[in-house]
Amino acid sequence: MEMERRILKATWGCNGNLEPLYEVEDEDDEILVTFDLPCVRKEDVEINTTEDTVEVIAKMSNAVCWERWGVVQKEISFQSFRRQIRLPEPVEPGKAHASLKNGILRITLPKIRRKVLINIE
Amino acid sequence: MGNGSEIMAEVVKIVEEDGAEYKNPMVIEGLPDMGLVGTIAASYIVEKLNYKEIGHIESDLFPPVMVIHGGKLKNPFRIYSDEGGQVVVVLSEVAVPPKAVYPLTTALADWFHKIDVKQPVISIKGLPMKNRVDIEKPKVFAVGNDEDAMKELKDKQLDLLEEGFIAGTYAIMLRECSKRRISAISLLAQCFPVYPDPGAAASAIESVKKFVTSLDIDVVELLKNAEEIKLKARDLMQQTALSASEMQKGMEQDMPIMYR
Repeated sequence: MEMERRILKATWGCNGNLEPLYEVEDEDDEILVTFDLPCVRKEDVEINTTEDTVEVIAKMSNAVCWERWGVVQKEISFQSFRRQIRLPEPVEPGKAHASLKNGILRITLPKIRRKVLINIE
Repeated sequence: MGNGSEIMAEVVKIVEEDGAEYKNPMVIEGLPDMGLVGTIAASYIVEKLNYKEIGHIESDLFPPVMVIHGGKLKNPFRIYSDEGGQVVVVLSEVAVPPKAVYPLTTALADWFHKIDVKQPVISIKGLPMKNRVDIEKPKVFAVGNDEDAMKELKDKQLDLLEEGFIAGTYAIMLRECSKRRISAISLLAQCFPVYPDPGAAASAIESVKKFVTSLDIDVVELLKNAEEIKLKARDLMQQTALSASEMQKGMEQDMPIMYR
């Protein structure tokens, strides 16, 4: 059952890492990737990019501790976000740039394959 | 719970607590949608004003999930009310599956008619904005389903959504209310499309207060705890975004045809 599967796929792990929510948008000559990183300061974000992946590791300003239900585990705490995503097409990692505003990390990645304008004769 | 009255529309049941009473109540709906604006706003209202749980909504079309709060098992689709039965809040902690939209809205509209709601019925939802990160204080736009609702929106000096699409549960909610001659409005706060947005929920609450004068609530705490709320709402946001993609939610950023 599709809905059941979605709900059972947690976005947190027992290793102290949370998976951030993210969005990938194809914008002509660039791929724009945004991550939602609440409780994170700019200096605590590490971004690693290859031609086809982006990895974000971000330390939270305070460890978040939630009391969770369950027989084995009564509470869980998180110190950081961590997520690697595969990009839809190759990019130039050296020309990527990023900004963090209001908890949203924006990474702009220029594509390797760019559009070429063809004039009609 | 469960021995009270029940409204049934196909496969959705609205189950009320025994002794639940209403006095021509204002209804505020906060279901998961873009930016989880409705859910965050409705949950904040219920918690801050200490509303009591007076019922829930059941359906085989809903995900097979129960939630646990304070060690108590609860239905994720719940109905709350103030002490006097003058304000009713409908909220959900799980995404509405596309298959459940029509039966859910039909059941709710029938129930609103049955409990003789004060009009207009208010739905809180998000209006996805690509540049949300650059918007300091989200604006709220409104849609009404009839002349009375439109007049009320103009009286309250709300910006009207003049052209565009409204998709998902609230779109059908407006229609089902129209069929029963119930005035209904949707308040749409500018929001992040796929990230929980407590800032948008705060703006929406400010607009709801124009209609529900008894809503003595400020949004300071909501804004102060925004980052923590965003963390806790991640899983629901993820489910909602998946469900929304099946409900043509992307259309809300499209332009409608020019000639009508």
